[in-house]
Amino acid sequence: MDNVPPIPAPRGALRRALAEWAQDEGRVWAFVFKALLTAFLALWLAYRLELPQPSTVLATVFIVMQPQSGQVLAKSFYRIVGTLLGLTVMVPLIALFAQERVLFLLCLALWIGLCTAGAARYRDFRGYACVLAGYTAAMIGLPAIAHPQGAFMQALWRVLEIGLGILCSGLVSALLLPQTSSASLRTALATRFRDFAGFAAAGLAGQLDAVRVEQVNARFAAEAVGLDNLRNAAGFEDPHIRLRSGRLARLNNEFMVLTTRFHALYQLLQRQQGEAGVLIRAALQPCLDAVAAQLAPFGQLLADEADLARLAERLTGERHRLMQTIRDGRRQLAALDDIDAEAALLDFDTAAELLYRFADDLLGYAHTYASLREHRHAREQWKDSFTPRANGLAAAVAGMRSALLILLLGTFWIASAWPSGSTFVLTAAMVSALASTAANPRRLSWQLLAGASGAALYAGFLQFSVLPWLDGFALLCSALAPLFALGAWLLARPARTGYGAGLLLWFCMLGLPANLTVFDPYRLFNEYLAALLSIGLAALAATLILPPDRPWLWRSLERDLRQRVVFAVGGKLKGLVAGFESGTRDLFNQAYGLAAGRPAVQRRLLGWLFAVLEIGHALIELRQEQARLPLDACYAEDMPWRQSIRALGRALVRLFIQPDEGNRQRALAAVEQAIAAVRQTPEERPPQFDTSPLRRVLSYLHFVRSSLLDPNSPLADAAASP
Amino acid sequence: MPREIALFGVYLPNLTLLFLLTLAGGWVIDRLVAWCGLYRHAWHPTLLRVSLFTCLYGALVLYVYH
Repeated sequence: MDNVPPIPAPRGALRRALAEWAQDEGRVWAFVFKALLTAFLALWLAYRLELPQPSTVLATVFIVMQPQSGQVLAKSFYRIVGTLLGLTVMVPLIALFAQERVLFLLCLALWIGLCTAGAARYRDFRGYACVLAGYTAAMIGLPAIAHPQGAFMQALWRVLEIGLGILCSGLVSALLLPQTSSASLRTALATRFRDFAGFAAAGLAGQLDAVRVEQVNARFAAEAVGLDNLRNAAGFEDPHIRLRSGRLARLNNEFMVLTTRFHALYQLLQRQQGEAGVLIRAALQPCLDAVAAQLAPFGQLLADEADLARLAERLTGERHRLMQTIRDGRRQLAALDDIDAEAALLDFDTAAELLYRFADDLLGYAHTYASLREHRHAREQWKDSFTPRANGLAAAVAGMRSALLILLLGTFWIASAWPSGSTFVLTAAMVSALASTAANPRRLSWQLLAGASGAALYAGFLQFSVLPWLDGFALLCSALAPLFALGAWLLARPARTGYGAGLLLWFCMLGLPANLTVFDPYRLFNEYLAALLSIGLAALAATLILPPDRPWLWRSLERDLRQRVVFAVGGKLKGLVAGFESGTRDLFNQAYGLAAGRPAVQRRLLGWLFAVLEIGHALIELRQEQARLPLDACYAEDMPWRQSIRALGRALVRLFIQPDEGNRQRALAAVEQAIAAVRQTPEERPPQFDTSPLRRVLSYLHFVRSSLLDPNSPLADAAASP
Repeated sequence: MPREIALFGVYLPNLTLLFLLTLAGGWVIDRLVAWCGLYRHAWHPTLLRVSLFTCLYGALVLYVYH
């Protein structure tokens, strides 16, 4: 045994391990270090400038503190906006109702309800401004009721304190060891394209299983929403990203169109069953392979702009060859005489056209991606934008819940004349505002409660056993450092953010020694009792009063998702694609998050997403095709084929509003009638899809028909179980 | 030059006003520099931006108060 020599470590192993650590745990420690530095800098300034409430400064620091500097800056900006908004609302309210607490609380409850509803409606940084407008109002207004004569000065002090907190955290996180949002934006873009290329190449080769398709599509939908937020945040931090902002938005939109198109193609291929299906797939396979061969290398590497520029060049060169391959396959299929040639050719043409458009979309995406190298580029001119969609009902419920809570707690405060009543109400306002932007408000509320309990214990220990021994700022910092470090460490873990926020915020607000330290155990007990009770009640309210992760909400979101088809039929054509793609994904993403842990519901939602995207996108392209028609007699507005397409639109709207068997049959009849009408229309152009609009219209109609007939679609399920 | 100005009856130090002025001016300069692509040559663009702002503000304040 003794003779076995120790295995020598490979060269550079230590350095590699260190680099890995720096990428992973190192970032967390850098964040903890930055949080401590910011907190102590802000605290020292607050004491030095003799601000009346250093606690507000530190609470601001920890609210704004995020691992990425772009997010810190974006949050800071919206925090200032929210603060000023809250200030503007609160000062007139105090002036109006200084003597009348009941009316004041009523108005405050209304305002906070409105802000919470706004936060639930927007859910991005604008939502954050709403949150802050709500609780800055509470922070300014509630203490001012007791001393209305000093309310205006107090409000100004709060604004100054918040400004100082924002300044410190912005400077430290942007200057010291910055983890830029732009870097993570670049990584996210490259990773997403790599994953898509691998996924699409496997799909074209026919090597995907249903589970992977669902997982990857759900992830792409979530990433599309996340990327737009990241783009906004990075624009605050990096002037170069700001110059590319239009192209990045466009890239995101093109990616969504790309995934929709790919999914349509994939579904159409999956639907080619039976003997005829095998023949069609065999005829198509060379074309599919040609595109897959272009994509496959990108599934292995994180491509940069230069790689995408090369891809664009190659795709441009391949276009004619792809067209030729498609025509060869068509001829080969037409030569067979043992199948229903017309139906098979229609299937083949539809799939081939989808493939050609997929290659075209890919080319556009590659061009836009490659254009990111330049500072200025023609592609920057992009007018459409990512339009988030939210459920109005959910936002209204969130607003009502917090308004009710404020009213209830306010009534208790007035009835009991509790000295800590204002903390009681303020905490409820903060918790419901913080929870309204979270994916899972209930879990966040309970985490906040646990965190705040920890803060209460530490604050008691500090106040009674440690503070009497301390002398000077350095010793105070050493006493605070363990708690701040623990809180920052928790903040950096996405699953435990609530614990960190609860610990830090409620320690800073209630346990931090003020400029003139008062040793008052009764006050401390009272304040923490009020805060903990209030968080507990807010958590109970989030659990009991119409909690969002329940069937009522995801059914409502599912209905909204289906309504997107109505939008595709009736919305204004300008910016329709971007609005449709982004809004649909945003709605789906919320519903999917709320249904976490219920795979059956999630699968159903995914099914609806696919059905809505497929049919909605085909309808939009039909509309765009009709808007571009040349001025010929056979394309006139009153031709039978155009009337039947309008009838199809109405039938599909009915079907998606109320999916049942009768409506599905009606929609099928409408699409078949439209197909027949298009076929009977004479056209004086060669029947190729690059020259003949009717040819293209026919293949969209055929695609809609195939997706209505799909037995795996939720439309079929809904028909089976009315 | 007075050290304070009255805004609707509230006395604000001139420093605040100058800060807002510098914020606006600095933003324009920042846009210009980014447009010319000069930040590409900086080691730490954010540090450069902050320093630029500090210099501007300091110069303006010294000019006004001196």
